[in-house]
Amino acid sequence: MARIEQIAARQDGRAGLSRRGFLLTAAGAGFMFGFARKADASQVYPSSLPGGGMFEPNIWCAIGPDGTVNVNVIRAEMGQHVGTALARIIADEMEADWDKVKITQVDTDPKWGLMVTGGSWSVWMTWDVFRQAGAAARTVMIEEGAKLLGTTPAACSAHNGVVTANGKSISYGDIVARSKPTRSYTPEEMAKLPLKPVSERRLIGKPVAALDIPSKTTGAAIYGIDAKLEGMVYGRPKMPPTRYGSKVVSVDDTDAKKVPGYLRYVVLEDPSETVPGWVVVLAKTYPAAIRATDALKVNWTAGKTHSVSEAQILDRGRELIAKKEGGTYVFDDKGTEDALHAAHNLIEREYICASVAHYQLEPLNALAQQVGDTWEIHTGNQWQSLFLPVIAKALQVPDSKVIMRTYLLGGGFGRRLNGDYAIPAALVSKAIGGKPVKLILTRSDDMMFDSIRSPSVQKVQVGLNADDKIVAMRHDAAAGWPTEVMAAPFMSKGADGKPYDQFAIAGADHWYDTGPTQIRAISNDLAKETFRPGWLRSVSSGWTPWALESALDEVAHAIKQDPVAFRLSLLTATGRNAGQAPDSTGGAKRQAAVLQRLADKIGWGKTQLPADTALGVATTFGQERGMPTWTAAAAQVHVDRKTGVVTCQKLWLVLDAGTIIDPGGALAQTEGGALWGLSMALFEGTEIENGTIRARNLHNYTPARIGDTPEMDVEFIDSTEKPMGLGEPGVTAIAPAIGNAIHNAVGVRLRKLPIRPQDVLAALREHHTS
Amino acid sequence: MTIKFEVNGKPVEIDAPADTPLLWVLRDDLDLTGTKFGCGIGECGACTVHVGGRATRSCITPISSLEGASITTIEGLDPQGNHPVQEAWRNQQVPQCGYCQSGQIMQAVTLLNDFPNPTDADIDGVMGGSLCRCMTYIRIRKAIKEAAVNMPGGETSNGQN
Amino acid sequence: MVTDSPDKKSGRWTVIKRVAAAVVGLGVLGGGGFLAYAWYPSIAPITPPQPSSFSPDKIRRGALVAAAGYCSECHTRQDLGGGPDLAGDYKMETPFGDLFSSNITPDPETGIGTWSEEAFRRAMWKGVDREGTQLYPAFPFDHFTQMTAEDISDLYAFIMTRPAVHLKPRDNTIPFPINIRLIGQGAWKLLYFTPGRYKPNPQKDAEWNRGAYLAEGASHCSSCHTPRDFMGAEKQSAKYDGAVIDGWIAPPLNAHNPTPTAWTEDELFAYLRNGVAPLHGPAGGPMSPVPHTFLSQLPASDVHAIAHYFADLDHAAERQSGDAAAVTTAMQRSGTDLVGPTVDPDAKLYQGACGACHYNSGKGPVLGRPELALNNALWLDEPNNLFMVMLHGLTAEEGQSHVAMPSFYTALDDHDMARIAAYLRRTRTNRPAWKDLEKKAAEARATLKTPPVNASR
Ligand code: FES
Ligand code: FES
Repeated sequence: MARIEQIAARQDGRAGLSRRGFLLTAAGAGFMFGFARKADASQVYPSSLPGGGMFEPNIWCAIGPDGTVNVNVIRAEMGQHVGTALARIIADEMEADWDKVKITQVDTDPKWGLMVTGGSWSVWMTWDVFRQAGAAARTVMIEEGAKLLGTTPAACSAHNGVVTANGKSISYGDIVARSKPTRSYTPEEMAKLPLKPVSERRLIGKPVAALDIPSKTTGAAIYGIDAKLEGMVYGRPKMPPTRYGSKVVSVDDTDAKKVPGYLRYVVLEDPSETVPGWVVVLAKTYPAAIRATDALKVNWTAGKTHSVSEAQILDRGRELIAKKEGGTYVFDDKGTEDALHAAHNLIEREYICASVAHYQLEPLNALAQQVGDTWEIHTGNQWQSLFLPVIAKALQVPDSKVIMRTYLLGGGFGRRLNGDYAIPAALVSKAIGGKPVKLILTRSDDMMFDSIRSPSVQKVQVGLNADDKIVAMRHDAAAGWPTEVMAAPFMSKGADGKPYDQFAIAGADHWYDTGPTQIRAISNDLAKETFRPGWLRSVSSGWTPWALESALDEVAHAIKQDPVAFRLSLLTATGRNAGQAPDSTGGAKRQAAVLQRLADKIGWGKTQLPADTALGVATTFGQERGMPTWTAAAAQVHVDRKTGVVTCQKLWLVLDAGTIIDPGGALAQTEGGALWGLSMALFEGTEIENGTIRARNLHNYTPARIGDTPEMDVEFIDSTEKPMGLGEPGVTAIAPAIGNAIHNAVGVRLRKLPIRPQDVLAALREHHTS
Repeated sequence: MTIKFEVNGKPVEIDAPADTPLLWVLRDDLDLTGTKFGCGIGECGACTVHVGGRATRSCITPISSLEGASITTIEGLDPQGNHPVQEAWRNQQVPQCGYCQSGQIMQAVTLLNDFPNPTDADIDGVMGGSLCRCMTYIRIRKAIKEAAVNMPGGETSNGQN
Repeated sequence: MVTDSPDKKSGRWTVIKRVAAAVVGLGVLGGGGFLAYAWYPSIAPITPPQPSSFSPDKIRRGALVAAAGYCSECHTRQDLGGGPDLAGDYKMETPFGDLFSSNITPDPETGIGTWSEEAFRRAMWKGVDREGTQLYPAFPFDHFTQMTAEDISDLYAFIMTRPAVHLKPRDNTIPFPINIRLIGQGAWKLLYFTPGRYKPNPQKDAEWNRGAYLAEGASHCSSCHTPRDFMGAEKQSAKYDGAVIDGWIAPPLNAHNPTPTAWTEDELFAYLRNGVAPLHGPAGGPMSPVPHTFLSQLPASDVHAIAHYFADLDHAAERQSGDAAAVTTAMQRSGTDLVGPTVDPDAKLYQGACGACHYNSGKGPVLGRPELALNNALWLDEPNNLFMVMLHGLTAEEGQSHVAMPSFYTALDDHDMARIAAYLRRTRTNRPAWKDLEKKAAEARATLKTPPVNASR
């Protein structure tokens, strides 16, 4: 069983459900997107679908007597148009009329199983289930249609919401209206249904207008921050000096009381220990909450990390890497140490990545209230299954007494996998008797304790023999581990049986043949104590390739080989790199193919560029070994030797993500991901200072803006393999491609992200003197 | 204080402290939640509305400065939501999470009023204040160019282009 | 506009403050002969005249005189939620205490209802009230003395036909002995005050003389735009060299004005009439009501005359030849760091906070996109106006009408204001860098008692 399915099974166990016995009761409230091609496409919240008379062959889809097809989506909509992509899968298989498809984003209910949107897993995780669900619906429509048309199912065909036989036809809506089918399928039954051949796909892979887009151009789309309840008051947290260990000593609200609209403050008691030392100010309006919170004076005793700096965290990482003990081996091939020791030439490099903030554009917020004995949390969240129990623990009620209502996310990028922001809303509502409280963090509140991408230290060692052949390799990576902190049971087990955070090492476990290889993940304890490490778009695959792909480039240059040819020579697809069906069919061969295609596209080695301008390449396998999106990227950069400014003029990406469901959405995700890669390489990045995050808003955090956007050329390899993810792979190869291009342009090697002009200048000076 | 202004063509009277940012009056008092709170310091553009036809960051514009002003939000840009800029946004499938897009659209409309045939430089210059964290910039640029073709021609305030 | 923000308009009164502070500080001066100079008799009270005793035409002419002199600006309460027009009680803060302007509605007890036209004229020409008490020169009788008897008579008709408001201004809090006006104010006058009507300059045309009459008389422009000495008197040697008003700089109106394009008659007219000059920017701070509330009421010819007069004083004719080149340069500078990738953190800050509204390209700035590379605020010797406008923003009634600039009071801290100021000065002008910017930003901030906008970083 794949890891994700294991996780899902565990979640279901927790909820006391097997994956059998889907209930056919009405779906929970949620919001929905209306018809794709109608100008009045609307999103309704809350809705209670399905309405009367709907036919539900399974929990995922329903057909109404008017022909409407509803698709229930449990993944958060945060810009990836996931609803559209998932609905395409089901609609294609069921032969639905796309214009009649709508999507309901459902609320938390145990029947949905694991509710998580991250890791670029959505399409990959849903692919089989939704095709089977669609097949079930199609099968019933054909069976019932045949009866109504007075013929046999074998004589019927279904196409675009209509069943046809011998020149007669009947629509799905009419079938539902007239024969009121009730047949339902268990997962086991669904798994046995025949699926359409690839050649008959009509929706998958075809351009489509995303269902969530129209309402996002008119202001009608409703996000968590837009949620409203009768009689609600507003809250803003007053942040303690440290993420952990701060204790409130005293509170003085003399000045806060002078703010019109101020109601009171609440010192949170949090049994879940998610928000220790937080105080929340309540007011009648949000501006009043802003000002009253500023005016409130709180005395804390700070936690022990109050003076920790980024440099200390990095030093701690170095210290941990230097120790033989500790950490978890992901690859632990016998003989690695001996081979490195005996190597003719040992290339050893250290790579650093600074803290990166999410800065999802919608600041964190949650609206909580008690209705009867149930707590409702209205918010946008990426991992409801993870945080619902934490909310329940904070409120000291059983899980079944908490429901999370789903809204659009104004950006996730992994920040909303951590649902910590729901806890203070719930607790403060509890403190005022369950009345509705809408808690909004201002940007600086949000940034101060962001679950940042941890700063990291990586050491890469490559041993070469006298013939410049790699004889062994080792990669150590030390960073704060998000999964350890927030979801420890979900950690993977290493080659040595010890748990490790796959999201703090994935990407280092490469597909190259490098002889005996050791890959070690190390949890940086000082990072973990100082802040709450987070999952951030492409997680470790956003930073391990910085080390891996820079190091391989360094090796290629050291042995005077062409960096592309060198990589291709290592992508032999043998042994563990041969790949495994259905997820990594073809293995490293497919990575070699995207790299070769990229090299051809950019005329690698054949172009003449102006002075101080050059191309650089890098290749990755996207997110994870278990779900590889084969990726190759090239960057063309110009380096200004006077100012140290690096300008990225153009990016190319070639990706093999298997079957592409929604080409427009796939391209959008890749464009966005690649620009994130660029932004983290050249524009953003912050540091830990005095135990908190230095950057608090856009005055000192500077993500890429429109003018920073280079030209971009993205190509997907045609494939009918199982679809992989695309939300994150665009990020992964960009930073090393840029670093490698800088080297090719001006001969200096940058080993720290982000790349700042002063670092480039310093490197140029050093290069000049050496 | 009591303040009178016009929002989307309708007269509005608001009783709120003078220092209240327009943003919260729109979102919480008038239920016009299409205007978004992003940075709160005038640096991201998510809260952009039109005041007197000019793109204005509502998060730091106090209502005390708006007596008699005429304000347009994304909800009032076009009664059917079919302003050429909105149409271009849909044709180019610009929004991802969508959170920045009301502000992007409002900003783009004034860009096109001032520079009916904007160059890439004009787009950078004016749209550089509007952050899209999903980084939909490539499509924003395309959509602006598409809308420029479809916008009704009119006089520009500087007689350019 | 109703306001409950007490210091919203405080900037406007510094002229008065500057004078009042120096003057009350004078203390006791002079001797016997001086007393003779300073003493005036009381003029007998009258029964308030019937409004019908003034012709509608005369009242209409008087309204224009009142507009040209901005009477209601200083004679209407601004704090405590505002007060009735012309009923006084405007608060002027000085280091010695507060002064409150007088009620000039025709109320017999608290206003000037019992003043005859003669008493009114004497106040305008000599700075003495009906009872013979010396007026603080916060009341700019040093300019009003130039006004014609006819204008004053018309003004009298206008004022005496306004609604009488029974409102006693708060008592001044100037302590003894500097509150003895007879001595303090008398002495000041002896030193600085030259009574007498405006004398036309025969070398100049009629329009010039009309402009000069208005500017030097009723409109008292140099009250703000000329530096004052330690006694609070305008320095005649530095006439129209510019001066600081409650943190704002009233810029030089002569050839010392540093903007890259000349203040031509057209620019001046647009500015004085509509509150915005295409090549210089909008009127903000204490200047804003001058065009919007007052000069917009005058016949266009009068505003043209004032513009004509100042265009001559600032030598626009000789300086204007460089304007086209200056605009071209400014247009090039406007896009600095906004186009293409930007990594300078200061430029990024400007890009996020300012660029969307201030970027220009092409032949000239778009009206409504104030071009900072041309703007007064960026070219002055000190960053005051840049900081003040960042902090206050502009209301829909100020600057360009119906358009508002947000308040960056909370959005930018002193450090960030300094970053933007330094960045702009270095990239958009060729003037020397400003010094101590962070300190000056803090000083500018300190002039606002309450934050204009409730936001949070
Ligand atoms: S929220 Fe107003 S500019 Fe960011
Ligand atoms: S679409 Fe998500 S921030 Fe722009």
